[in-house]
Amino acid sequence: MTGEFIAFFILALLTIGGAVFMISFTRVVHMVVALAFTFLSIAGIYVLLEAEFVGMVQILVYSGAISILMLFGIMLTRHDASEVEEGKNPAKWLIRVGIAVFFIIVFFGIQSVQWSDKPADFTQKDNVKEIGVQMFTNYVIPFETVSVLLLVALVGAIILAKKEAEDE
Amino acid sequence: MGAYLEQSFGLQNSLVFILSAVVLLAIVLGFVTYSIYFQRKILGWMQLRIGPNRVGPFGLLQTVADVLKLLLKEDIIPKAADKPLFIIAPVIAFVPAFGVLAVMPFTDKLHFADVGVGLLYYIALSGITVLGVITGGWASNNKWALIGAMRSAAQMISYEIPLVMSVVGVILMTGSLNLIDIVEKQKEMGMWFFIPQFLGFIIFIIAQLAELSRTPFDLTEAESELISGYHVEYSGFRWAFFMLTEYVYIFAMASLTTVLFLGGWLPPIEYLSFIPGIIWFALKFVAIVFFIFWLQATFPRMRVDQLMQMGWKVLLPLSLVNILVTAVLKTVL
Repeated sequence: MTGEFIAFFILALLTIGGAVFMISFTRVVHMVVALAFTFLSIAGIYVLLEAEFVGMVQILVYSGAISILMLFGIMLTRHDASEVEEGKNPAKWLIRVGIAVFFIIVFFGIQSVQWSDKPADFTQKDNVKEIGVQMFTNYVIPFETVSVLLLVALVGAIILAKKEAEDE
Repeated sequence: MGAYLEQSFGLQNSLVFILSAVVLLAIVLGFVTYSIYFQRKILGWMQLRIGPNRVGPFGLLQTVADVLKLLLKEDIIPKAADKPLFIIAPVIAFVPAFGVLAVMPFTDKLHFADVGVGLLYYIALSGITVLGVITGGWASNNKWALIGAMRSAAQMISYEIPLVMSVVGVILMTGSLNLIDIVEKQKEMGMWFFIPQFLGFIIFIIAQLAELSRTPFDLTEAESELISGYHVEYSGFRWAFFMLTEYVYIFAMASLTTVLFLGGWLPPIEYLSFIPGIIWFALKFVAIVFFIFWLQATFPRMRVDQLMQMGWKVLLPLSLVNILVTAVLKTVL
């Protein structure tokens, strides 16, 4: 048994556990903390896969995102607020069937993918450099498009915030 | 990084891992104990006081006594607090603070993990602490704690951006995110990065003070207005963990500044290289820690709006200019 296996087991458990608790908790702040565990464990799995750069960016981006989400959770809910348990609803069965069908499609979809036999070897290369080279040669147009998209989103957020301030 | 994990997970291997981590923890705890002592002494001298001088010779055991008191104190959890989150918050805050030390190279041989993305690892992990702070502030169910936590979140998120941007210049010049490579590059250039990256260095120092919530940016605690911010409801052992987090971050940030801008374990002149690297590292490190305490004795606290304006309207544009200039110079020269 390698340390890698043990690390993967713990991280996988934390990822799935965090996701399950996220759904089952009733308070917003508790949910956000559970979600944090999921995101951070996914970063750990990236590191295990030797995608260190992606793992670190995952932590960098999501730890900030989680903090902001938590602030919204605090500001938009009461301290002791929790979701009310909903009664029986016939539509629930329909949703469950939908989820089951979705699961079957995804499961067989993943099963039928033809993965290449040998895994990509990153041990010799500098993984940050490789990502940079790929991003600015083969994928430069998608990269630029994404940055324009983000800029538009930023400008949109500022305009929305400004409008509200003027209304007051 | 994978090489460590691919070795068989034997008893000997795991023992080495655990022992080395325990030794580092002991060193860090020793640093924290005596940095608090020296902080109080330095502040005392600067304000024409004596400082702690009762417990032990020259008051050397004062902090030890304080820590002992904290450990023996009754463990109080407020009745209206959110119990599980109240308990887990100090842990969330402390774990990344100690975790960032894993990539810190103290000399070219004395380091733990040699990670390709060491600098990014440090910055990413240190961002998790704010989650512990918000969790603690919210779980305390107290107005002051919540205001302190909110301020802390706003401050840390705003200043993380200039902090990252200011080191991009160093990364550009080195061509690597590895902390050991960064020091090697400074050796190769024969010049420490605070000279060619002077603007980046200044921005980094200011942003790191804000990240550490030290004076003049200690708004998250602000004894006089918020009592003590997010950890007002904490006492004893749990409070000690929040304090420990703060001082371990001073340790980590001072090490990072040394490595990034002050040449790590390199001697200032080649002639002096007979003195071992760890001594040079320690000297630079102590100078930065002293600088932080010095500011604490001389600067007033900033207002919240001033803090935000400075972060977004001054430091961020300046760091962008720094990146542009560095990139242009790199391509031209």
